[in-house]
Amino acid sequence: MDDKRSRFEAQVLPHLDAAYRLARWLSRAPGDADDIVQEAFLRAFRSFDTLRSPDARAWVLAIVRNCHLSALQHGRRRAAEPLDEEHETDAGAGDVPAAADPEAASIERDERRALARLIGALPGEHREVLVLRELEDMSYREIAAVTAVPIGTVMSRLARARAALRAKWHEESEGDGRAVR
Amino acid sequence: MQCAEHLRVQALFDGELDAVSAAAVERHVGHCADCRTLLEELERMRGRIRRDLEYGEAPRELRSALARALDAEAAAEERRRSPPVVWRGRPFWLGTLTGAGAALAAGVAVVLLAPLFFAPLPEELIAAHLRSLEPGRLTQVISTDRHTVKPWFAGRADVSPVVADFAPQGFALVGGRTDSLGQQRAAVLVYAHGAHVINVFAFLPGRGEPPAQASRRGYHIACWRGGDLDYCAVSDAGWEELGTLRELIADLGARDAR
Repeated sequence: MDDKRSRFEAQVLPHLDAAYRLARWLSRAPGDADDIVQEAFLRAFRSFDTLRSPDARAWVLAIVRNCHLSALQHGRRRAAEPLDEEHETDAGAGDVPAAADPEAASIERDERRALARLIGALPGEHREVLVLRELEDMSYREIAAVTAVPIGTVMSRLARARAALRAKWHEESEGDGRAVR
Repeated sequence: MQCAEHLRVQALFDGELDAVSAAAVERHVGHCADCRTLLEELERMRGRIRRDLEYGEAPRELRSALARALDAEAAAEERRRSPPVVWRGRPFWLGTLTGAGAALAAGVAVVLLAPLFFAPLPEELIAAHLRSLEPGRLTQVISTDRHTVKPWFAGRADVSPVVADFAPQGFALVGGRTDSLGQQRAAVLVYAHGAHVINVFAFLPGRGEPPAQASRRGYHIACWRGGDLDYCAVSDAGWEELGTLRELIADLGARDAR
């Protein structure tokens, strides 16, 4: 097929899952994440010829982030649609492995949701560095490229994000008398 | 009080330090209880996050919708690079399509195709179709889900057309947009059929009827009435393909009406 299309397929599409995860965490709504990712990948395809950096992942994640921000600015977020409900049930955690003890499994599920909620409640600039670092395992330099800030800023944001999460986490576990660890 | 070395401890934890700095920070951690606690907490938190927060993979529907959108985009770019034969031939009247020339061409079109139709519809449809093939113009909402596309038209277009994905029949819904046609905001559905882009315009009927079939500059136009709306499919795909898509949409419209 078209050469550009197949090069794009080989270099950029492998990062679709990472893009989707970032969009999910940034937008906090599955339906919006779909839109953001689609738009981002179309934009990426259109400007694919201008990609000079060897790091296609950071490049396309930066576009995802920009799409998210411009969607926010234009306030053109769709109202909840049927699509959202479908995905919502598994929000926050991957499949919880079947445990022998159903009660233990349900507690574990609750804990996973709690963690997702805590991270979801962080400010966007904390959320994004945390997700890029912990879930995508990106280096400070890569995160700096995605978020368009200097490496020093990445470090301090990451430290603040982690401190905020830690504080909320302790607050929460004291609140319901159950240690979250 | 928080130890001033926290950022360096974090960098150690994230594997961002060279060997010499790493050794120095490790020595510091050895005798700083505060930093030791920090390191343990970072470790624990990463464990929890990586164990619990997946948010998994892009849904299959997203993957396939994206593949189709990219196909359509690639096809549109391809077409811009090598326009269809008729287009390349630059018919003599093309350059004169302004002012009197346009009026003449429109007049000819009206006489030939639809004596009663008021608007210069075929030219307008072709122009809208060609415009849509420019970069970034094809869709304003990208989705194969009719429950996404149909509500999207509300408040943006003057009409609410029949929306469905016919991917199994070879006509994949890529998305939608609105175009100004005459005095109205038409709802446009975008389908991909192989490498062909098919725009289906839906609008309120004008005076008379649009032509059932018309060809301009190598592009085909097929129009039909569905409910109280007029639909026109425009593409460089063949008549047979346009006919099939028309049947699919018209059938669905008829079912919806009952």
